[in-house]
Amino acid sequence: MPDTLSVTLSALADPTRRAILARLARGEATVNEIAKPFDISLPAVSRHLKVLEAARLISRGREAQWRPCRLEPRALKAVDGWLSRYRRFWTQSFDKMDAYLAELKAKEKRK
Amino acid sequence: MSARLADDELLITRTFDAPASLVFALWSKPEHMKRWMGPANFTCPEAKIDFRVGGAYRAMITSPAHGENWFGGVYREIVENKRLVFTFTWDNDGPSAGVETLVTITFEEKGGKTVQTFHQRPFLNVERRDSHVGGWTSAFDKLAAYAAQIAKEHIA
Repeated sequence: MPDTLSVTLSALADPTRRAILARLARGEATVNEIAKPFDISLPAVSRHLKVLEAARLISRGREAQWRPCRLEPRALKAVDGWLSRYRRFWTQSFDKMDAYLAELKAKEKRK
Repeated sequence: MSARLADDELLITRTFDAPASLVFALWSKPEHMKRWMGPANFTCPEAKIDFRVGGAYRAMITSPAHGENWFGGVYREIVENKRLVFTFTWDNDGPSAGVETLVTITFEEKGGKTVQTFHQRPFLNVERRDSHVGGWTSAFDKLAAYAAQIAKEHIA
């Protein structure tokens, strides 16, 4: 079974799904409201919503007939944490790269 | 805000006071890589590099607090002193385990200095690769345009 982060990142890989999330960042919406600006069918939008729901990026109301969708920030926070760990890893590596290049240069001069 | 929302890519640009051939060698030669790879408190005692397209690399960084962390990947594109593309995956059981990423680095020499542009993104499935054919940036542009349009409609 793929881990949660992989599932989240896979769900985010699609531009339409990213646009849907951008829409939901402004507040909850129904499937019809979400589908409006897209040039795709309602069933296609529903399929995207299912993927987002499975990845826990959104949740959908159970009671109301129109089942409004809302953003679930927790999964996005996991992506954010993953990315900032990588940012720290590389930024600090590149600092060391800088120092190492200076060291190589100094050695070159002494020759 | 909206564009940031789905931010799962890393872009780091650095200028190094060295020619591109040397900065490139820091990535392609294990004796160099061992000297800089890893965050501040880590050392990189192990690095094995089979530097050719399709060739693999494997390395380990370690610190007293975090112990050994192995990672590796496969080279996908090599343009000497100009461009380097490889996959990057951690071996460990942490939250990033199993998430393959794709790293693309370009090197541009300007007056003896080198601008290194580092880009990393998840490399998960066919769908993602396909979306890249059309250009990932265009997806972000669309997202931004869409957000702007929505904002306008909202005001109107």
